[in-house]
Amino acid sequence: MLRNIWAHRADYAYVLPAIAVMLIVIAYPIYYTVELSFYKTPPGLQLRDKTFIGFDNYTTILTSEVFWKVTWNTLIWTFGSTFISFVLGFATALALHRDFVGRGVLRAILIIPWVISAVAASYIWKWIYHSDFGIIGAVLVGLGLADRPPNFIDNVSTVLPSLIVVNIWREFPFAMIMMMAGLQTVPDQLLRAAKVDGANAWQRFWHVTFPHLRNVSVVTILLLAVANFNSFIIPWIMTGGGPSNASHIWITHIYELAFGRQRWGVASAYSVLLFLILMALGYFYVRALSGNERKEGRA
Amino acid sequence: MAHVVLKDLVKTYGSFKAVNDVSLTVNDGEFVALVGPSGCGKTTTLNLVAGLTSITSGDIVIGDRVVNDLDPKDRDIAMVFQNYALYPQKSVYMNLAFPLQMRRLPRDEIDKKVKEAARVLDMTHLLERKPRELSGGQQQRVALGRALVRDPAVFLMDEPLSNLDAKLRVQMRSEIKRFHQDLKATIIYVTHDQLEAVTMADKMAVMNGGFLQQYDSPAQVFAHPVNMFVASFIGSPAMSLIPLEISTANGGTVLTSAEGWSLGLSPRNVQKVTKATTKKIVLGARHSTIKLHKSAVPGSIPAKVYTVEPTGDVTFVQAFLSGAIVNVSVPPNIAVTPDERIWLEFDQERMHLFDGETEMALEAS
Repeated sequence: MLRNIWAHRADYAYVLPAIAVMLIVIAYPIYYTVELSFYKTPPGLQLRDKTFIGFDNYTTILTSEVFWKVTWNTLIWTFGSTFISFVLGFATALALHRDFVGRGVLRAILIIPWVISAVAASYIWKWIYHSDFGIIGAVLVGLGLADRPPNFIDNVSTVLPSLIVVNIWREFPFAMIMMMAGLQTVPDQLLRAAKVDGANAWQRFWHVTFPHLRNVSVVTILLLAVANFNSFIIPWIMTGGGPSNASHIWITHIYELAFGRQRWGVASAYSVLLFLILMALGYFYVRALSGNERKEGRA
Repeated sequence: MAHVVLKDLVKTYGSFKAVNDVSLTVNDGEFVALVGPSGCGKTTTLNLVAGLTSITSGDIVIGDRVVNDLDPKDRDIAMVFQNYALYPQKSVYMNLAFPLQMRRLPRDEIDKKVKEAARVLDMTHLLERKPRELSGGQQQRVALGRALVRDPAVFLMDEPLSNLDAKLRVQMRSEIKRFHQDLKATIIYVTHDQLEAVTMADKMAVMNGGFLQQYDSPAQVFAHPVNMFVASFIGSPAMSLIPLEISTANGGTVLTSAEGWSLGLSPRNVQKVTKATTKKIVLGARHSTIKLHKSAVPGSIPAKVYTVEPTGDVTFVQAFLSGAIVNVSVPPNIAVTPDERIWLEFDQERMHLFDGETEMALEAS
């Protein structure tokens, strides 16, 4: 082993700078976060005043009411956004797969939400939802559907769904692009064979198109899920987690704990838990990808 | 099984006519090969019969029904595709069952038919496998099976053997032929390989540029090609075509070459060339009808050897003659070398004469 390393010393020398950078900017912060999660860190004081408290931070988190509230929000946020974005993206991809006049223009327009800045989009939507000046409220009142503009984001029961709508609006084009690319790889001959075999349009979709898109679907859903689990910009800018934690998800909550209330130890413990969950998702992502290659290798 | 009639079939894409007034009748139980070079309209014609492409004008009759506006599934056809087109996520069993499921047959009947088809095609042991776990030949057999379970009026096959390697292709060729004989199935088979068409089909429809050139039995097409295209397309190596001109010498009609020599004609062949619309005549001869001489004999024509291709039991010699390349087959014991001077003798009975202008075969009345 050692002799092997020595024999390849030049190769190791070449990658050493990259390894060093990765150790400093990735490995060390991860280690430091894990370490901090076992310490009590008094706010406003220097971090060197920390005291070791074992798993106390973790117990604090798991027994707090806010934790369960935020976790529940995160689950609704992640699964709601991912599922609806995927279905909507897939449906648009199918609609855009056939040839019609204006297809290119429509496709370009539909991609816009995905390419504009999330911060800008968040502020725009904040105005759209605004209870006094928002266009949705104005339209609802104008049509006589509401007596006064509804208060979308200052209301505990409507804030999370309202944010999910914005998130879906922003990321469904991603699913659409992925599925459009997948659709182009469905062999035409298979569809024609199914036609001759007597399958109608829905059966052709179910028996040929959909199975063919299984892998790209899995990858798309996993990428969306990870991105949603990690979401920050939209909820933070639009509501900052409020009102009364109704729109707090894990990342915004961790951010607030760390940089708002300077509870570094608790925030670190949260981060470690989040890290473990994302690693699990990452494992399935890699497995889905390599499963793909295995199949192609055998075909 | 049923007969198929194509009547004045036309398919245009914009101003491009892919299929041009094609009319032909496939009798019940007949194996017909649509053959021609790439882009000749043969696959389009097949897709028109299948209903995968809509016709521009004309009629398609399957059995006793005009099927012009029917969906593929209602035409009572089954199709075998070039790339097999098996459903990759389904097992062989489910692939075979699929067309029956789509027709909502009862489960036990599907099971019976699938197992029967598997038995006929000798692949009972493969039923649980996925297509990707099968060899090319096995996949093609599953594709045949999927067509077979349906018991359709007509089998349509779109170059089913072109993805197989040479050895397997020969083997599957006999399997399909056997399949046809056992089932007495009506088959329309598209291929660009004239050898496949000649060896398998009862009748072949030679197509070029969207037009049906000739529709007859392989033997007839081989012996009496109607024009220069069919003559050069059917047969391997291709028929040699030598451009010549009619002239008179010593009171008789002869064909003269720009190279200076002339070829006398039998009375029957003289009768043929008088039908020509021009002085230009193209002489066609298959390799086996030309004799090669090492020295001049009466009626022979001088030529120069270009290449020699020994194949074992026969040697093909290509020679330059009047600006064309002529294929001659000789027994392997005759040694000729490139650039050697040789003399060729044409068989008056078996030579073909074509009008140099219309490219049509000239016939004696």
